[in-house]
Amino acid sequence: MPTLRPTLHLDRLGSVIAGLIGLALVASPFVTYRANRIVSGEGRLLFDALPPAGAVGTILVVIGVALCAALAHRPLVRLAAASLGLCVIFPAVGVSAGFVTPVGNTFARVSPAIGFWLLALAFALLAADALTRLRLGPWGRLAALSIAAGMLALLLLSGAWSDLSLMKEYANRAESFWREGRQHLWLAFGSMGAACLVGLPLGLASHRVPALRAALLQGLSIVQTIPSIALFGILIAPLGYLAANVPLAAALGIRGIGAAPAFIALFLYSLLPVVANTMAGLSQVPADVTEAARGMGLSRRQRLVQIELPLAFPVILAGIRIVLVQNLGLATIAALIGGGGFGTFVFQGIGQTAIDLVLLGALPTVALSFAAAIILDAIIDLTRRGGHDRD
Amino acid sequence: MIEIEHLSKHYGDNIVVDDVSFAVGDGEIAVVVGTSGAGKSTLLRMINRLVVPNTGRVLIDGQDTATLPEDELRHRIGYVIQGYGLFPHRTVAENISTVPRLLGWDRRRIAARVEELLDLFQLDPGEFAQKFPHQLSGGQQQRVGVARALAAKPALLLMDEPFGSLDPVIRGKAQDDLLAIQRRLGTTIVLVTHDMNEAFHLGDRIAVMDQARLLQYAKPADLLTHPAEAFVEQLVGTAERPFRLLSLVTVKDAMEPGSAEGEPITVSATLRDALAQLIWRGRPALPVTDASGAPVGRISVDGILKHGRASLS
Ligand SMILES: Nc1ncnc2c1ncn2[C@@H]1O[C@H](COP(=O)(O)OP(=O)(O)OP(=O)(O)O)[C@@H](O)[C@H]1O
Ligand SMILES: [Mg+2]
Repeated sequence: MPTLRPTLHLDRLGSVIAGLIGLALVASPFVTYRANRIVSGEGRLLFDALPPAGAVGTILVVIGVALCAALAHRPLVRLAAASLGLCVIFPAVGVSAGFVTPVGNTFARVSPAIGFWLLALAFALLAADALTRLRLGPWGRLAALSIAAGMLALLLLSGAWSDLSLMKEYANRAESFWREGRQHLWLAFGSMGAACLVGLPLGLASHRVPALRAALLQGLSIVQTIPSIALFGILIAPLGYLAANVPLAAALGIRGIGAAPAFIALFLYSLLPVVANTMAGLSQVPADVTEAARGMGLSRRQRLVQIELPLAFPVILAGIRIVLVQNLGLATIAALIGGGGFGTFVFQGIGQTAIDLVLLGALPTVALSFAAAIILDAIIDLTRRGGHDRD
Repeated sequence: MIEIEHLSKHYGDNIVVDDVSFAVGDGEIAVVVGTSGAGKSTLLRMINRLVVPNTGRVLIDGQDTATLPEDELRHRIGYVIQGYGLFPHRTVAENISTVPRLLGWDRRRIAARVEELLDLFQLDPGEFAQKFPHQLSGGQQQRVGVARALAAKPALLLMDEPFGSLDPVIRGKAQDDLLAIQRRLGTTIVLVTHDMNEAFHLGDRIAVMDQARLLQYAKPADLLTHPAEAFVEQLVGTAERPFRLLSLVTVKDAMEPGSAEGEPITVSATLRDALAQLIWRGRPALPVTDASGAPVGRISVDGILKHGRASLS
């Protein structure tokens, strides 16, 4: 009969994910074992990386997830499978570290290897795809993010990962990790705040004064094209001069190198998105809406506050989202000129060819950008009052 | 009473409104018609000073509008435009209460006014008050636009092609509703359109504009019988003239005593509708009834034709 559907229907993305999982299981080491932190190591397949019972259990779960990815259709089932997979392999890699390290050996290092990362990638893809298909509203996405963050915190605080090289690097520098973390956030959020304080009025002004518009946008676009290293270089001379000749500047900690030029560079990069989106947001307010507002006797100020800014707000927020995600990543570069931040570990790690130290700096940066993007996207949706996207 | 005295506006060398004067009595509807670019919108926008005239002045009840603060003036004048300009981020109730809130009315009074207006425009407050504009049909948006303009009980309402984006059926209904509401509230209206049928349907007086000049300002019947210029004649349509005339007169004025067979016509119907019925029913005459349905006389083809000829001469 023509209405009969085939009982087995392969999901396209799911098949790719299943393939990734297969590759990870069969051909890639799950963890890398090294005698000490900087020598190159040897890989261990999943089967050799865990006690036999654990290995079999993990492999069964992983195969189960692969089958779900390829065959299951209901997004909730796929999401559950992906979550289960993640909840198994993350602790497993911690257990594996304890299992692979010879008893009493404090120099040996165990890190997640390509197989683990492939599995994590496959499960994350599956979860992301399922979440997209679920069409979660802003609150749903925030809830999903909170759950993921909670699980991650649980994993790290429980000590399940403490035998991993990454966490050993952390344990050796716990204090500086949090200090650089605060510095990283200060650089990213502080420069964003400054860019909003300056950029919003600039955007408003150039919306009102067309002559200003072209000049400002061109100037800021040029700034965007300067590579960060070059921008630091350009800033060293004037800031150094300032520090040497203005006591107040020196007292504020402004120097030719360090946090000040990094902050200013991030601020300059942030201006274009804020200014451009403020202008775009204001100019997309429908002409008949402003005409009606004027005709009803709303003053200039009332029009701006009650009509134009609220209608432009989602677009302005989209600019702020760009800035925040960009700054959280770019702040890594600050470490190059002694500005601190998570980049400190990245560049130290590169210097020492200690890949886990690089990860100690890179992973929190990625996680922060990711979380910032999700949170701001949700806020943007929530502010779109009466828009076509909300019902 | 609103008096427009020698209003002119030019942008550079382009004269957009050229020495226009006319007056609109209290409770009257003046319709401004003319081709695209004639300067109708500019003229209307000079009344609430969205456009500042180069010369001339506008008096409302004898007071020169230039002497009032702009915002205050606009709070007192309702304004409806073609796209309605509803605020997309505000609910229907919030949109309607815009001017009352600016005027500092208290909450209860605002809520009562919103409900009253929604009822007046046949929008169920329970269903519509909390909706956003994008959730409304074009006709509903139009009604909310007019309700918003009437919220603070303005004595004067300016409308710039308020029905321009409605389909013909809804447009006819919206025009009838506006007429009913206007008769009830006694609001003075200046309305811009380029639809001649709309002008004849709504206007107590019609202002014909062409190339920045006011060619004629007269009652609809005078416009038909005594067009001031060839352009006016052309605009009202030579072939349609008799029918437009008939549409300005009700059965009451051409009724004869006596009775007739067939489907009755009410006294308030226009002669145009009556003639259409007579032709359609294939009868020389039909009975006429009053609003309660009681027979009051008859209307005949001959009677209508006689009336038509009399008003032309
Ligand atoms: N702000 C302005 N600057 C320059 N020219 C203008 C401006 N506003 C209107 N005009 C010009 O004035 C003329 C009349 O415009 P207006 O909008 O009053 O016409 P209209 O009769 O309402 O036309 P339509 O029926 O198309 O709405 C047009 O030629 C228009 O280009
Ligand atoms: Mg116009």
